[in-house]
Amino acid sequence: MSPVTAPVTDDAPDFLLPLWRAVVVFRLFAWLVAAASFIREWDRYPNHTTAIVLLVLMGGWTAVVTVAYGTDAGRRSRMAGYDLVVTVTFIAANLLTQPAAELIGSAPILTSLWATGPIFALAVERGRDGGLIGATIVGASLIALRQRLGDQEIFNTTLFFVAGVTLGYAATTTRRATAVLREALAAEGATAERERLSRSIHDGVLQVLAIVRRRGTEIGGEAAELAGLAAEQEIALRTLMTSRPSSAGGRVDLAATLRLRATSRVEIITPAGHLLLARRVVEEVAAAVGEALSNVAQHAGEDARAWVTVEDLGDQVMISVRDDGTGIPKDRLDLAKNTGHLGVEQSIRGRIIDLGGTVALHTAPEQGTEWELTVPKTRP
Amino acid sequence: MGADRAEDSTVTRVLVVDDHPMWRDSVARDLAARGYEVVGTAADAPSAVRIAAAVRPDVVVMDLHLGSTSGVDATRDIVSAAPDTRILVLSASGEQDDVLDAVKNGASGYLVKSASLDDLDDAVRRTADGDAVFSAGLAGLLLGEYRRMHDASDAGPTLTERETDVLRLVSRGLSARQIATRLTLSHRTVENHVQNTLRKLQLHNRVELTRYAIEHGITDDPA
Repeated sequence: MSPVTAPVTDDAPDFLLPLWRAVVVFRLFAWLVAAASFIREWDRYPNHTTAIVLLVLMGGWTAVVTVAYGTDAGRRSRMAGYDLVVTVTFIAANLLTQPAAELIGSAPILTSLWATGPIFALAVERGRDGGLIGATIVGASLIALRQRLGDQEIFNTTLFFVAGVTLGYAATTTRRATAVLREALAAEGATAERERLSRSIHDGVLQVLAIVRRRGTEIGGEAAELAGLAAEQEIALRTLMTSRPSSAGGRVDLAATLRLRATSRVEIITPAGHLLLARRVVEEVAAAVGEALSNVAQHAGEDARAWVTVEDLGDQVMISVRDDGTGIPKDRLDLAKNTGHLGVEQSIRGRIIDLGGTVALHTAPEQGTEWELTVPKTRP
Repeated sequence: MGADRAEDSTVTRVLVVDDHPMWRDSVARDLAARGYEVVGTAADAPSAVRIAAAVRPDVVVMDLHLGSTSGVDATRDIVSAAPDTRILVLSASGEQDDVLDAVKNGASGYLVKSASLDDLDDAVRRTADGDAVFSAGLAGLLLGEYRRMHDASDAGPTLTERETDVLRLVSRGLSARQIATRLTLSHRTVENHVQNTLRKLQLHNRVELTRYAIEHGITDDPA
């Protein structure tokens, strides 16, 4: 095992726990039912002392499994199997409380509902097969006790099978979900550690690039060209570092997507963290921003800088693309429209209005251009 | 005494904190060449705090990654040890969370290391004058932080409409002068609005830290 994939199993919740609790609660409840029906049917038990002893022993065993199923060690052992064996013994012990002839008839038996406990324990512990085995053995034991296969027996046994198999499938699914979650948590931990390592390495590289950039610019000449190259790499690396995993649940991070457009002339300003929007919204906004930026590159002048600012307004997102270039003369915008040349403005407008958003354009000669795009987070 | 004070007010005393020796020396040399008095350098958070408490510089130029120690911690400790000292964060990576934490804990400005020497000179001077040095990026982070606090609870600090307008324009790369023109405000008023957005956040952070300390019984404060 490599050091970055440290086990994090203790951090993952065990989703089987609620099922085990249900098994335990059911067993306690079933024992109370057994005790209550014994009292209610007092007259139908010929041998009270034996029945009471049996009932107390059942209570003792209920206590044992309650403790066992309540602890990690108990759940990991083969407790459910022992539970089954002991419970079958209790079913057989009904023979001590009633004459066999009565049991073949309709005499009450002490263990009735309580005897189904191991089916559920086995189902939770072993999945579908555990449920099947438990239902088969408990069902067969009860049929053997009554020594008949009537409607009641078939009905009961069918219920055992349905309950055991269903719970078994549920437990298996839950166990798989827990395993997947554990893997995901381990992977997340490993990723975080790797990111931490890469951050400190990248930070060192960024420092060196920044030094080359500053010293190179000061020295001038060829060194200044090197400084320019260092500056580009510095921005590329910083962009990489601040771009995090950028999608979740079919939604994409607008902030991370736009950050990839940073250059030495284009600064991307976003809130910290994710800004998740529907994929189509992000694609269209990114395309609109891209068009606005290429417009800057073509028309605003060589030295023009641009700022793309993303602001979260709660139910809307506002994106501003501003440059400090020459601005678009009004006659040129009008000319473009009149000649049927769709141009950048209508294309951007079209994209944003399709998303239910609005576009404002402020421009004047020598004052740069500012696009203000507002889009709703969810479609109206 | 009078002469001393006059000299104190003309020469800005600077402490440079950075774990990278080449960078640290380069910044110290550049600042000295621009007429600042570099009163010390430090490579990690504990020594930065110790030196700042002893020499009380006007401005600390602070990197956020200091080997295994953190510039955010150093910022917080220097602010409490030397309250008159102002802190300008000069960071390479621009890690958003670190930058936010540093300004919440008392840094009054932020610059990326790729900024030119002129920008750095200007930023140190303005920091010494008590102005907040805001890049567009930091303004964007602050807008986001106020939005986050607003969404999280009604009790947090909020911006006035004017402060929001100013911060928004800073986040779009406009200079204080351009903002003053656009909003027909004085340059000074714009600076004040920007500082207020920062002060509210720092005050809120201090209140939260104190509340946390009291709730968890980790304070000597009898309150």
